[in-house]
Amino acid sequence: MRRLDFLQSDRFVGLLFIAPFVVTAIVFMVYPIAEAVRMAFFSYNPLRPDLVSYVGLNNFEFIFSDPLFWSSFSQGTIWTLLSILFQTIFGVGIALLLHRKLFGMAIFRGLLLFPYIVPTVVIALIWRWIFNPEIGVINYSLQSVGLISEPIYWLSTPTMAMASTIMLNVWKYTPFVVICVLARLQAVPLELYDAAKVDGAGAFRRFLDVTLPQLREVLIVVIVFRTIWTFNKFEEIYLLTKGGPGTSTFNLAVYSFEQSMASLRLGVGAATGVVMMIMLMIGSVVYLRVAGFGNEEKST
Amino acid sequence: MDVKLQRINKSFGNVSILKDVDLVFPSRKFVTLLGPSGCGKTTLLRMIAGLEDISAGSIHFGDREVNKLAPRDRNIAMVFQSYALYPQMTVRRNLGYGLRVRKTPEAEIDGAVVRVARILEIDHLLDRKPAQLSGGQRQRVALGRAMVRKPDIFLMDEPLSNLDAKLRVTMRGELRRFHLDLNATTVYVTHDQLEAMTMSDLIAVMHKGVVQQFGTPEEVYGRPANLFVAGFIGSPPMNFLEGTIDSGRFRIGEAALPLPPLADGIAHGLDAVIGVRPQDLNLVASAGPNALAGRVSLVELLGSEKLVEVMVSDRTRISVQVRAESQVGLGENVHVGFDAQSVHVFDKRTEQSLLAEATKA
Amino acid sequence: MITDKFWPAMKMAALYLLLCIVTFAVCFPLIWALSTSLKPKSEIFATPPTLIPHSTTFENYEALLSGRQQYYQSGGAGQATGPTPAQFFTRWFVNSVIVTLGSTLISIVVSTLAAYSLTRFRYWGRSAIPYFSLLGYMVPSIIFVFPLFLMMVRLELTDNLLSLVFGYVCITLPFCMWLMWAFMRSIPIEIEEAALIDGASRYQVFANVVLPTALPGIIAASIFSMIVSWNDYLFGRVFINSLDNLTLTVGVMLFFEGTHVDWGLLMAASVLMTVPMAILFMALQRHLVAGFGAGAVKG
Repeated sequence: MRRLDFLQSDRFVGLLFIAPFVVTAIVFMVYPIAEAVRMAFFSYNPLRPDLVSYVGLNNFEFIFSDPLFWSSFSQGTIWTLLSILFQTIFGVGIALLLHRKLFGMAIFRGLLLFPYIVPTVVIALIWRWIFNPEIGVINYSLQSVGLISEPIYWLSTPTMAMASTIMLNVWKYTPFVVICVLARLQAVPLELYDAAKVDGAGAFRRFLDVTLPQLREVLIVVIVFRTIWTFNKFEEIYLLTKGGPGTSTFNLAVYSFEQSMASLRLGVGAATGVVMMIMLMIGSVVYLRVAGFGNEEKST
Repeated sequence: MDVKLQRINKSFGNVSILKDVDLVFPSRKFVTLLGPSGCGKTTLLRMIAGLEDISAGSIHFGDREVNKLAPRDRNIAMVFQSYALYPQMTVRRNLGYGLRVRKTPEAEIDGAVVRVARILEIDHLLDRKPAQLSGGQRQRVALGRAMVRKPDIFLMDEPLSNLDAKLRVTMRGELRRFHLDLNATTVYVTHDQLEAMTMSDLIAVMHKGVVQQFGTPEEVYGRPANLFVAGFIGSPPMNFLEGTIDSGRFRIGEAALPLPPLADGIAHGLDAVIGVRPQDLNLVASAGPNALAGRVSLVELLGSEKLVEVMVSDRTRISVQVRAESQVGLGENVHVGFDAQSVHVFDKRTEQSLLAEATKA
Repeated sequence: MITDKFWPAMKMAALYLLLCIVTFAVCFPLIWALSTSLKPKSEIFATPPTLIPHSTTFENYEALLSGRQQYYQSGGAGQATGPTPAQFFTRWFVNSVIVTLGSTLISIVVSTLAAYSLTRFRYWGRSAIPYFSLLGYMVPSIIFVFPLFLMMVRLELTDNLLSLVFGYVCITLPFCMWLMWAFMRSIPIEIEEAALIDGASRYQVFANVVLPTALPGIIAASIFSMIVSWNDYLFGRVFINSLDNLTLTVGVMLFFEGTHVDWGLLMAASVLMTVPMAILFMALQRHLVAGFGAGAVKG
């Protein structure tokens, strides 16, 4: 009787329902991350599992003395910062455009948010096609309009390759910024604009004094989030340039991948992963500070 | 600066919001646009402000036609229902915003802000942000923002509706004083007839986009132009009874109630509605030509008064206001006494006041 | 009178134009891909390139969907050497569908149950779990991949679609959890309490009262999960190595590794890969934006 009661009791249901998550989370989230950290201290070669050995901090020594690690780090940082800059500018701009009651707005909104769901593989391949130096349509158009006299090698020089990957990243993820900013724009009380009109503010002034301050908080959140994510992105770079030409578009994620897959140094790859996670934690703390800070100001 | 509204019409697509509004607000008077939600009063206010286009008609401030002018060029100030204070600016910067946008020198702005803050007793709040203020304080900042600009016309859109009942009573007086200090023409929008009655010099009662009556509080209260105004103004609301005019008296069922002398000219046999305020009725001892018999169905104590509801027939209820000391019990048989002078008469079909017609004739 | 309406109308027109230009620029890659996929080989490399094909052909789509072997010369009777990617397209498509639906199903079920439990019951860790989940969401997949791969090796699940299902659960579960939790929190408890008083058991309340109300959130989470699984490349690349078992993303990238790139075929593959996502997105756009608005910005 008591056993049946327990099975029917609230408490049991509660624990029963959370159990699958706990199990799954431990097996597929906690374990892999713990393993990743553990692997950083070992030398792993997937083809020779018998030669696994504890190497202490060797892997970390390796990466910190590897010039490729540092160039990956700096390249990745530049890539991230520039991507975020453009995503924010375009994101806010497009959101402002979309924040009107024009006819057919729903269609525009749908079309402009599309890049977010396109597989990275698809956009990388299309990019390679249209930015192909000889037969791509971009170079052809630019040349026929007279903007350039010689084809631009979009993916063959370090600078252009970096620019191309930034472009792809901006294309794919600006919609995310648009969604967030648009949602916030729609919550701005209209009376503030009326008051500003009566007070005498013109359109630009209203943007500065009413719209922008309202956007401040959501932009902070979005920028921090996107920075953390962009810094760790793999596919957007790898699928377009494989980190090249040479290693000029490597970031830490690509570096880690190459160490593990190509060089078969899983331990080194894991060590890079640990470094990335530490950076992630620093970023999260920054975010919590900044976001929490915003909340404190409001409540006093 | 007076405000002239001539043949104002406003529609959104096929829906007509305002029909042929013709009003003149004399300079420096406190005018209220009063009516239930959806009557068009806020739209009219926004059109005066320039926040809404006019479909037809014209608006003049003094001699100037302002139809096409942007709000910033009309020299108006406005207080919104939610106060619309700029949340990221301090009170000081909120107050000074209008002047700053017009590129007034900083020193002048500062002087004006401090002066206004002192008058409104918010000078100790100058460095706080709106989120840190109470409702009443925020409202004073909104008022201050208007005062700093020294406008010709001052517009207010239901500024008291977000305050609790007690604060509202205090603020009514303050707003009236504020109007006198400001010395501008004030246009005030509200759905609360008590606010309108206590604060205004003139009231425009509106319903479904049409101005029902425009007059002083005494006029709209004492000589309502139609059924709507009669029923809307005054609390507790007026009682209405339907019947016919019969040889100078009002026949309802078996009874024939007295009518005011002005009603002498009304056609015999006309279907009419009379209105009497609960305050103008009393409970009399015995039946008579000026009374209706009935049974008490509800007694409410209002404080110093009692509101007694009397069923005079199966479907007809009359509310009578009596002194609290009167001993009236539920279910008692009573007689409601009518005083000819306080009876308002309306044409049942047109809903217009027949007394006004009579005086015209 | 005319001048009154003129400038506002001009402003509207200018905005519209700007909107159209921006939208075209954003959609151009996909439009161009579609256009290329419908052109015969002769027209693909023609100059000047045309946006709307002069002559349309469905040969590329035919090749992919029928599994015909890819030929290196145009005109048909060339030589095919070894297995060519086009043959596997339908197979890869099915693989992707299986893996996407499988992982989404698991993630949704687990996270919905968990979200209900977290918001209706009290126990230790109740408030920490969602935030932990969010933290998990922020960990980049590159960190998960190799440890999970080693785990699959030990379970002898390498080169098996099931390993991908698990892998995708790993990356979709955290956000689904967060989303469902935020959503469940906003469902008022009163209806459940009414049902409990009426005599329903907790399980019945969950199935009959809570699930229907939570449907919008479930849909949003499902869409998110499906998009992430379908679009992933990294896990597929690491976990699977036989041609038969590849997912669409990894397989189509293979097209590109060959010496001769058949752009028309590649673009057709790209279009076909994107179509399911487009359908999902268009049909349920409202749900997606609502779901993201609630979860993402808050986090």
